Amino acid sequence: MKQSIRILLTAASLSAAVAAQAEVAVIVNAGAAATPSQSDVANIFLGKNKSLKGVDQKDWNPTKEKFYTSVTKKNEAQLKSYWSGLVFTGKGQPLPSVAGDAEAVAKVAAEADAIGYVDKAAVTDQVKVLFTLP
Amino acid sequence: MTTARVLGLAICLASTSAFALEQGEALINGFGTVGVTHLGGEDDGRGYGLSGQTTDSWRGDQLSKFGAQLTYGVTDTVGLTLQTTAKAYADEWKANLEWAYLSWQSTDNLMMRFGRLRTPVYMYSESIDVGFAYPWLRLPDEVYSQVQLSNYEGADLVYNLPLSFATLSFQVAGGVAKNRDYYLYDEEFDIDYDNVFGSSVSLATNDFGTFRVGYVEADIETEIAGSFTDLLGNPGTATLLALDKEKGKFTSIGYQYDNGTWLTANEWTSRVIENDGSASTDSFYLMGGRRFGDFLAHVTYAQLDEDEGRQNSWTLGLNYNVLPTVVLKGEYKRVDTQGGYDGVFVRDAQELYDNTVSDVTGGALGVPARNYDGDIISAGVDFVF
Repeated sequence: MKQSIRILLTAASLSAAVAAQAEVAVIVNAGAAATPSQSDVANIFLGKNKSLKGVDQKDWNPTKEKFYTSVTKKNEAQLKSYWSGLVFTGKGQPLPSVAGDAEAVAKVAAEADAIGYVDKAAVTDQVKVLFTLP
Repeated sequence: MTTARVLGLAICLASTSAFALEQGEALINGFGTVGVTHLGGEDDGRGYGLSGQTTDSWRGDQLSKFGAQLTYGVTDTVGLTLQTTAKAYADEWKANLEWAYLSWQSTDNLMMRFGRLRTPVYMYSESIDVGFAYPWLRLPDEVYSQVQLSNYEGADLVYNLPLSFATLSFQVAGGVAKNRDYYLYDEEFDIDYDNVFGSSVSLATNDFGTFRVGYVEADIETEIAGSFTDLLGNPGTATLLALDKEKGKFTSIGYQYDNGTWLTANEWTSRVIENDGSASTDSFYLMGGRRFGDFLAHVTYAQLDEDEGRQNSWTLGLNYNVLPTVVLKGEYKRVDTQGGYDGVFVRDAQELYDNTVSDVTGGALGVPARNYDGDIISAGVDFVF
């Protein structure tokens, strides 16, 4: 009895930890043929690769933090510094952005060449998951 | 009215397109640095830096500068970019139009620009006023004091070739730059650059950093004259440098790497001006840094070699990201020179005369050269918006 309570408690705390560290899914349109690798995705979101249209998230939320730190190896300040190097040399503008997971999913579902990143829980069957970031 | 419209446009820019703006869209961005710097050392009353604004009093005009940029989508592929800056040059605050061009994004990978453009001389040339884009408060003076030309009128072409492991970029530029200022011997002179031609190739790899090679040349016309009082107390004037459409050539090779924790930036340059009476001016810097959370600690070694001697320096810096768009920076730089060489220190025509007399007479007359060394302390804030 004691043992099973312990297991239950462990399971509960584990799932709490999982919820706090949600997986991030990189998504493309359900009909998309392209399967870019993780470094292709980094280049798309750094404006170097224009084969797909990156859909960025407006606010620096945990999903965005996880995506940029693991895929592009840049935190918020480093990303701002990177873009200021492009904006002020006339060589690029940051990607268009939407507010939150639901809008990102909707935009990727609506545009054939769009790519985005969302909390895995927000993924619907209108989009395809390229890979997830644990 | 126009301002209101531009502001309105800027606010409703929730979704702008990736590279060129969509028709009718406008973006306003700004950047700035507020900083103070001080030169300490054995001798008082000396100046240091590109336009001599680092002295033995704490001054804000060497490092502080402000800029604003407007980008406007004329059509989906044609854009207008204007960038103005306010910064001090040779003790005087000036407003400058740094960028003023029309760009045409003819394909995803090819962009052509026409108008006033920044000269692609150094690795950091095009963002030279945006301190937020590089780790230092003072870019290494040994390298970044050599070419004073910051923009030209003409055209350039930027072509990006995406590869599996990298992006390869080519840039070709051409134009003229007339009636520019040239600061030397603590005075300003007029200088013309004709037939400015520049090209650069950079390879930005996904995992191994960015390599860049750049070359710029121009036909330079200027006359640098110095006034002094001779040993007998009579006023004199001497032409110190006269260039009549002599070709100046500048080569830069650079490498940058940043994996989020460790970073490095390195550049080697060589400058040759035909018939200026001296061989090439060679310089380089090597910089390494490591991030600790919001802190960045970095160290730089820099060296400048000319016929007259060598300047070298060590710089230690510590940066702290107060906000994602605001960074606080502190730097200590130790500069040394050998053999009476003035390096990036300021020597005016009178001092040059006195030092030359002292040299020629073995110290019997004139004044021997000062100690051109010192400790430079700088502190400031860089921001973008």
